[in-house]
Amino acid sequence: MTVIAIDQNICTGCQECTRICPNLAIEGLPHQAQKVNEEKCVMCGQCVQKCKSYVSVAEHGLAAYQEVRKARDLPDTVVEPLFAAYNVSHIQEVKRALADPNVYTMVQSAPAVRAAIAEDFGAPLGELAAGRLAAGLRKLGFDRVFDTNFAADVTIMEEGSELIHRVTNKGVLPMFTSCCPAWVRYLELNYPQLRKHLSTCKSPQQMEGALFKTYEAKLDKVPIEKIYSVSIMPCTAKQFESSRPEMVDSGKRDVDVVLTTRELVWLLKDAGIDFLSLKDEKFDLPMGDYSGAAEIFGVTGGVMEAALRTGYELITGKTIPAVDITAVRGIDGFRTADIQVGDLTIKVGVVTGLKNVKPVMELLAEGKLDLHFVEVMTCPVGCVTGGGQPKLLVETDFEDAYKARISATYFHDKELPIRKSHENPSVVALYKDYLEKPLGHLSHKLLHTTYCGDKKKAH
Amino acid sequence: MANEFGLFVTTDTTKCTGCKACELACFQVHNVRSNKVGKTVGTVTVPVTPKLYVTVIPTASMPVQCKHCENSPCRAVCKQQAIAKVGQQIIVDEAKCIGCKDCVVACPFGAVTLLPFYANGKPVAQPGSGEGKVAASKCDLCYTESEGPACVRACPNKALSLNDVEESRKAKNIAAAEALAVVNAGAPERRSLK
Repeated sequence: MTVIAIDQNICTGCQECTRICPNLAIEGLPHQAQKVNEEKCVMCGQCVQKCKSYVSVAEHGLAAYQEVRKARDLPDTVVEPLFAAYNVSHIQEVKRALADPNVYTMVQSAPAVRAAIAEDFGAPLGELAAGRLAAGLRKLGFDRVFDTNFAADVTIMEEGSELIHRVTNKGVLPMFTSCCPAWVRYLELNYPQLRKHLSTCKSPQQMEGALFKTYEAKLDKVPIEKIYSVSIMPCTAKQFESSRPEMVDSGKRDVDVVLTTRELVWLLKDAGIDFLSLKDEKFDLPMGDYSGAAEIFGVTGGVMEAALRTGYELITGKTIPAVDITAVRGIDGFRTADIQVGDLTIKVGVVTGLKNVKPVMELLAEGKLDLHFVEVMTCPVGCVTGGGQPKLLVETDFEDAYKARISATYFHDKELPIRKSHENPSVVALYKDYLEKPLGHLSHKLLHTTYCGDKKKAH
Repeated sequence: MANEFGLFVTTDTTKCTGCKACELACFQVHNVRSNKVGKTVGTVTVPVTPKLYVTVIPTASMPVQCKHCENSPCRAVCKQQAIAKVGQQIIVDEAKCIGCKDCVVACPFGAVTLLPFYANGKPVAQPGSGEGKVAASKCDLCYTESEGPACVRACPNKALSLNDVEESRKAKNIAAAEALAVVNAGAPERRSLK
């Protein structure tokens, strides 16, 4: 399954993408078209964000644009520039499902989507659009409009419990987060012997997907065969993750298709929806209910902070003195902190930008990484800068966009009534009515996985 | 120092990778007002029409753009007076352009081409016909931008710079004079003249 590709007719061979690719997966000679080596590509899509080589009237002629758009299976309503590096689109598949009355569509959106989607409609960089996102998805005709953030809260319950279990039972440490599929892929390709350091938790997307076709299917009394599970992600690698052979624990493929933030923009424009003027709506309950802790999964340090907010209270039984854990915030490529949790000192690390993980992995391989828990995100400052996010025309705007999207995320966290995952009432209900307890039997079946590694190909 | 010559943008070909960031930045800055182009790709609803043209040859790459010639042949041949000198720069008035291609023929660098002309997000119609018009498109040195040419600012490799030939010529004069002063003072024939 091809996720990231470079159009051989459009690429000028500038090799700007080659220089930023975290796994040296782009190959070719200077001034000649480059190729993606799919055996090495981690599908992060940073090349898609970087590429400036567009289909040009001056260079390729008037008809070229329409031909490329057709070849990429994009609707005629797409009029924005198309570039040499791109991610394979699944928008037509989703359009067909939405038009089919026999299909029951459930959709989830990642936290980072709402921090950037409005930009592609002309709003200022980082304008928060959570309510309009819910309204837009409903207007598109999705039967159920849920939120990946719900599963991010569930992830904290599972991953936090897993960490406590590993610490108290002399398990493999440090434990690394497993939310980022490009990071997981990178680990499998380069350090397969260190895989046991990865949390067994699935990513929030895959937890949400598995629960759509089990828990929510039961609540909605819909047969699993009718459910079409769609995910809106800031990420190009999520499509790959959803197609991994392990991700079928509901009995069917847990997430049927993934659209990037940009593809959702195309879908909204195709339906003639004036996104910026939509009235705010809420995500559906229960699987659209979320805390501020879930929202910050979209920025570097966010998963760590969310885990600490809950971990602190579960371990000590006391209210955390300050909900904002600024020690793990920031944008440095690798940062560490010692967090006091009752009598325990938890040593944590945060890596952002996949190129920064290599020295950390070398330390780990040498047995010199003295940490309990490490968060890794592939994209520059986390998912808000993912490969599927609105693409900036000019690089000098990168920094402004990064800052604005990070601020939007923390702002949303702060404005939410509940800011800790374990206090999300819908998550409490999920455990009470269905899963019983974190790391329980059902959790293991639906929410955890063992990645089968680099040899098995995704279908 | 007053400059009598038009400025232009030069490329350091040891730095240029041919990535076209300059073309996109050029297009963006010229279409913010006229076609509501914003910060992201999704805000673009018109064809990308730059005013400089990245050219890749086996040994190098560089954007080719208007030199703002002092005896500008494009301006000389334009019968519509659509090309004018504004200050020291050569500027196209797209509204007056009839797409006759004389400037394209006249430019020795290929720095001008005809591209679809859009305003308010829509093709501008040719007078007396429903068809969209084209207009000469070439570097105007971002003469309305206080921060100077967008291409220079956007280049990720800092390969582009604004070339003030008079200033660099005078700097070379001074460097030459400094070197020659020593050499010439030491020359025996010079001494014998005293």
